[in-house]
Amino acid sequence: MKVIESLKIKEKAYVEVLENGLTVIIIPKKNTKKKYIIWGTHFGSIDNRFIMPKTGEEVFIPDGVAHFLEHKMFEQPNGTNSLDTLMALGIDANAYTTNDHTAYLFECTNHFEEGLNELMDYVQHPYFTDENVEKEKGIIGQEINMYDDDPSWKLYINALDCMYKENPIKLDIAGTIESISKITPDVLYKCYNTFYHPSNMTMVVCGDFVPENLLQEIKKRLVNKENQGEIKRIYPPKEEKINKPFASAQMEVSTPIFMIGYKDIENKKEQRVKKHIAIEILLNMIIGKSSSLYAKLYKEGLLLSEPSLDYEFSDEYAHVLISGTSKEPKKIEEGILNAINEMKQNGLNEEHFERIRRKVYGDYAIEYNNVGDIARMFLADSMKSVQSFDYIEQFETVTKEYAEEVLKDIFKEENEVLSIIEPNKN
Amino acid sequence: MNYKKEEIKKALTLHQIYTENYKTNLYAVFLATPLKRENVTLDALLTAVLRRGTKNLPTQEQISQKLEMMYGASFDCGVEKTGDNHVMKFYLETLNEEFLPKPEKLLEESLKILLDIVLNPYIENNCFKPEYVEGEKKNLKQIIEAKIDNKNKYAYDRCIEEMFKNKPYGLYKYGYIEDLEKITPEDLYKYYKELIETCKIDLFCSGKINNNIKQIVEQNENIQKLNERTPNYVINNETTEAKEVENTKTVEDSMQVTQGKLVLGLDINDLEENSRFVASVYNAILGGGANSKLFQNVREKQSLAYTANSGYVRTKNVIFIRCGIEIANYQKALDTIKEQLEEMKNGNFTNEEIKNSKELILSSIEGITEEQDTEITYYYGQELADRFINIEEYKNKIKEVSKEQIVNLAKTISINTIYFLKD
Repeated sequence: MKVIESLKIKEKAYVEVLENGLTVIIIPKKNTKKKYIIWGTHFGSIDNRFIMPKTGEEVFIPDGVAHFLEHKMFEQPNGTNSLDTLMALGIDANAYTTNDHTAYLFECTNHFEEGLNELMDYVQHPYFTDENVEKEKGIIGQEINMYDDDPSWKLYINALDCMYKENPIKLDIAGTIESISKITPDVLYKCYNTFYHPSNMTMVVCGDFVPENLLQEIKKRLVNKENQGEIKRIYPPKEEKINKPFASAQMEVSTPIFMIGYKDIENKKEQRVKKHIAIEILLNMIIGKSSSLYAKLYKEGLLLSEPSLDYEFSDEYAHVLISGTSKEPKKIEEGILNAINEMKQNGLNEEHFERIRRKVYGDYAIEYNNVGDIARMFLADSMKSVQSFDYIEQFETVTKEYAEEVLKDIFKEENEVLSIIEPNKN
Repeated sequence: MNYKKEEIKKALTLHQIYTENYKTNLYAVFLATPLKRENVTLDALLTAVLRRGTKNLPTQEQISQKLEMMYGASFDCGVEKTGDNHVMKFYLETLNEEFLPKPEKLLEESLKILLDIVLNPYIENNCFKPEYVEGEKKNLKQIIEAKIDNKNKYAYDRCIEEMFKNKPYGLYKYGYIEDLEKITPEDLYKYYKELIETCKIDLFCSGKINNNIKQIVEQNENIQKLNERTPNYVINNETTEAKEVENTKTVEDSMQVTQGKLVLGLDINDLEENSRFVASVYNAILGGGANSKLFQNVREKQSLAYTANSGYVRTKNVIFIRCGIEIANYQKALDTIKEQLEEMKNGNFTNEEIKNSKELILSSIEGITEEQDTEITYYYGQELADRFINIEEYKNKIKEVSKEQIVNLAKTISINTIYFLKD
């Protein structure tokens, strides 16, 4: 297996791409009792139009299929549910769907082998019938209702709607009650056969393991599958502009919540990690805990706690998100725009930059505290063709001058949007 | 044994947890005092004011800057109810010196800052800075008002409030707006001085820590200034007291929700010595995971709910059942839940279910040492209960639980409160 290493945080990752195309990443952690495995496919809510490699058929699927498929994978022909089987072993099992991938995982202290048996069995053996697909529509319908009640979800979707016109990232991951009503076993099988091919999947394991031995255990449990060519995914063309600068809605919240977005229109693929590090440093300099803007807004009672700061990206989308709670979201927006302009004009303060650089280093290093965080990070990064250690190893290459370039490139006023959820007026 | 505790002074205890599993060291200071209506709001406000500045770092900005220079050390604080105590919690997490890009001394500095925040606050004219108090009053007001934002949490808090009406545990940990408005900076400072002289203080250090922590703590000026005290706090008595059995209360609230939130509060009236362990197993069978009776019957078989589970609150010996349901399904869901409680009483659960539930609990016990704050919370729980059980003993107690004990416990369970949040 290929070994990659981070000397700074003293961790190693063992990587192997198997003959069938499956990528396996093992990160051994001595002395921990917890073991974590996550198996992901590069299939998320944005993949709603594609060409099946075997037949050449172009397929359009209803919104919410990736998530629906995730729910249905646990069900077995003998009537059992793999989630129950795993839980019965004292194993904490779960699955989730994002914009760009679907993942099946479990965490345990004991019974790892039995867990591996079950996980690799159920992910490789789908079982969809008219009856079990119909039944799931009720359960997912409840989940969709739960999202509808969640102001922070609505806030996020509205911010995306501001930034993108056609991009499927703005669709609800679970779909709508209407869209899921169109899902049939046939749709599910088509998606399964296309996206759950080993060449489209990555498995990450973290815990106290001998990597070579574990790799053999994984290989033994793989079902033979014919090789498959590349999956052609069809997305709407890149949009050169934002959709609209502002969105607001009313829901049951006590104080308004806001999300400010900067769409990274160019979304250059080179130096993604380096750019990501620079953006995190910049966001902290603009409105992080020690920034003068945050101190001012806190003093004025406009911010209660630091906003969350995020940069989300894949090949199809990239944007910065700043979100929080405030009585007057527009004043937060104004403060941020001013702070950015000032930083663009005067350049970044040396001392401030160094301080935040150290803080961001600490944030990355802390990710390595927990086997689950490590495994999820390696999987999510690999779905974006990023190698996680790079965040630690490329750290030193992010200079003040580089960060200033990124500031000018990405934080453009014409690419900025604001989404607000206000309390109901009655 | 990687855990040791030493008394630095009367009612001031240092707890050390040595572990190599993390990139970080975690330090925590806990102040415990009895839960009282007149104090909850003061406690919540005080915790927030203390983080605003210390004598050496008078503003929050300076504290943040200092922490950032220490490779993003993070400070956090909050209040929690633990049994009938209100606990003010202060945490500082730093990278372990071994993982810094360049060598630097962080340990001593970390302890100094944390102890400064709690014991050496920024004082002006013999009082907290009025601006800080006023600012935090506004913030706390918003936090209290935000109770309604998370509907699941709100329904749960409301059920606790109704179940423990006029009792300490029914209090809201952040306090009450009508009490908050009356607090002046003088009141708060007077309360702080009393509290610091009388409360129980525990200091925890977890990580790859060295041997001289005790010395560092003892030599800390703030620690040296502290008086000895007979601490004023409530020992979380683990041998159960009998509860008055009341008729079931039903409470409904209306709000703009598309999904109804149903919460049931259950009393356990089992006086047997090890009943806390039995109750854990009972709870796991009833609503602990995907195999539990609630999940299987309320969610899976009848598709009545998206969530259906139960949780055991050890310090109060009660169980809460929580479901997210379609509003029209209220009666059906409630009937199904009641059926499950009957099933438990009648012993209609298999050895397989007992075994699975124990596995679930055992793996969560094993997980205690896998997270720094969880491990600290575990030892602190024992400190407040004044009863020490190590992790191996704890696992054995769970393994020993028999079906007969579970059925006997089930027979003592009664529904105290049914709470429903609907549209």
